Amino acid sequence: MNKDTSTGHPEELGGAYALNALSQDDIALYEQYLDQSEQARIEAEELSDTAVALGLATIPVQPSAALKASLMDLIKTTPQLAPLGGPAQAAHQAPQPTDAPAPVTPLTLVPANPATPDAPRSRREARTESSTTATPTEPATPGPIEASAGEPDAGLLAERRPASTGTGAQAAPLRSGAEARAQARWFQRPARLLVAASAAVALFVGGTVIGGALNDNQFVEQQAASLAQINAAPDSQRASTTTGDGQEATLVWSNTLGISAVLVDELPALPSDQDYQLWYINGDGPLSAGTFDSTGEGTVWRVLDGTMHAGDAVGVTVEPNGGSDAPTTDPIVAFQS
Amino acid sequence: MLELMTAESNFDVESTAPPTKEELLGRVAQGDQAAFGDLYDQVAPRVLGLVKRLLVDHAQSEEVTQEIFLEIWQTATRYEAGRGGASTWIMTMAHRRAVDRIRSSQAGRDRDTKIGIRDLAVAYDHVAETVEVRIEHERVEKAMSRLTQLQRQAVSLAYYGGYSHSEVADMLHIPLGTVKTRLRDGLIRLRDELGVTS
Repeated sequence: MNKDTSTGHPEELGGAYALNALSQDDIALYEQYLDQSEQARIEAEELSDTAVALGLATIPVQPSAALKASLMDLIKTTPQLAPLGGPAQAAHQAPQPTDAPAPVTPLTLVPANPATPDAPRSRREARTESSTTATPTEPATPGPIEASAGEPDAGLLAERRPASTGTGAQAAPLRSGAEARAQARWFQRPARLLVAASAAVALFVGGTVIGGALNDNQFVEQQAASLAQINAAPDSQRASTTTGDGQEATLVWSNTLGISAVLVDELPALPSDQDYQLWYINGDGPLSAGTFDSTGEGTVWRVLDGTMHAGDAVGVTVEPNGGSDAPTTDPIVAFQS
Repeated sequence: MLELMTAESNFDVESTAPPTKEELLGRVAQGDQAAFGDLYDQVAPRVLGLVKRLLVDHAQSEEVTQEIFLEIWQTATRYEAGRGGASTWIMTMAHRRAVDRIRSSQAGRDRDTKIGIRDLAVAYDHVAETVEVRIEHERVEKAMSRLTQLQRQAVSLAYYGGYSHSEVADMLHIPLGTVKTRLRDGLIRLRDELGVTS
């Protein structure tokens, strides 16, 4: 049915785009068109808002109490994405105070084109981008810290400031090394003790991966959605271990969904000619599940490409930039699901 | 908008006015779990209402709602207040995730069986839960009534039914190009009737 979508003017896709009625191919086609037309971007935004009005006109349905309880529990162990683009710039322009322990600030997402945050391809993406441009104007206010100081586990809370308040982070009280470590190990601690801010998360993506059909924001969004799915799955499981160099590493997965994610703490940054590569390992040998990179700070995580089968082992190796067809080094970490 | 929020958090800390969804989302972006709970209370019924409208099955709708809220938690740092309200951001995400679920799995087929020949036109005969919702209903109902019957049908199938434009074409036995035109013309008409501007 999609074969005739390449005919006709892409602007005609605007309605279906706003209604989420397009195939992935059509979305890519339309977003290419949005890149070229300011007028189209305005229309896309307006039609998306119009669709939201349709959504707000539906009858509200009260969720079960169990849903909220479950969510409040889940967020304690679910990392938040670092804001897009901003932190990398902030890190270059304003080094952290010397007494700051390494993972004190939110870490960079590796934005593939950090220089163009002001030209979102579409509302769909724009709505998920960080407000880097607002950073300089935002005063360094301790407000957010105070806002949560009254919470039960306030003493254990390690507040993370997002990039939009990046300038404020330098003026904000700094966490002790112990707090920072506690934050970094968020996924290993009993839920009750988990830090409010979860972890500063870096999602580093190998250039070859994002150079493909997906643009970076779509990729990040899909990664986030997949991690949410794994965490929300009734059969969600996790296994923790340490890498050869002693970094904490965790595999979370769901057999029914067939998806998994690896999270590693303070995984060292690699030279630019190398990437970390993920592998499914089973009787058929290793199968690549994507590449990623790390800043060396905070928690880096990556949802594996492809399908995980029950019993698969998952490993991480260091490979030449872009990844290899088969592992060329010993795994730095491996998990048995 | 961001500056506005900042100003409020600076000067209105003692204010007794309940925080707006935008303010709550800003706090969620900083890892504030209590704010997440408050935001959930405010918007979860609307999210579930929309998701259930598409998926029909209640248990499955709750599951997708859970995924949506986890995603809100994970990506709140990406929310840009200057680009629209929190409701818009959340409801856009909710619709996309509900559609993803329909497309990605057995869910879609199960749902079709369940819906049967259910009329997908917007139902307005329910008693709305709040004045706000009722007003929104009436506004949308009025705007929908300005569409042609064919536009209304296509828009409803796509948005409330979660069908792709090619599925809509199949269901209505019309060319895909016609569906595209109806969807776009219909939404543009709705936009104008609702006075949506960016």
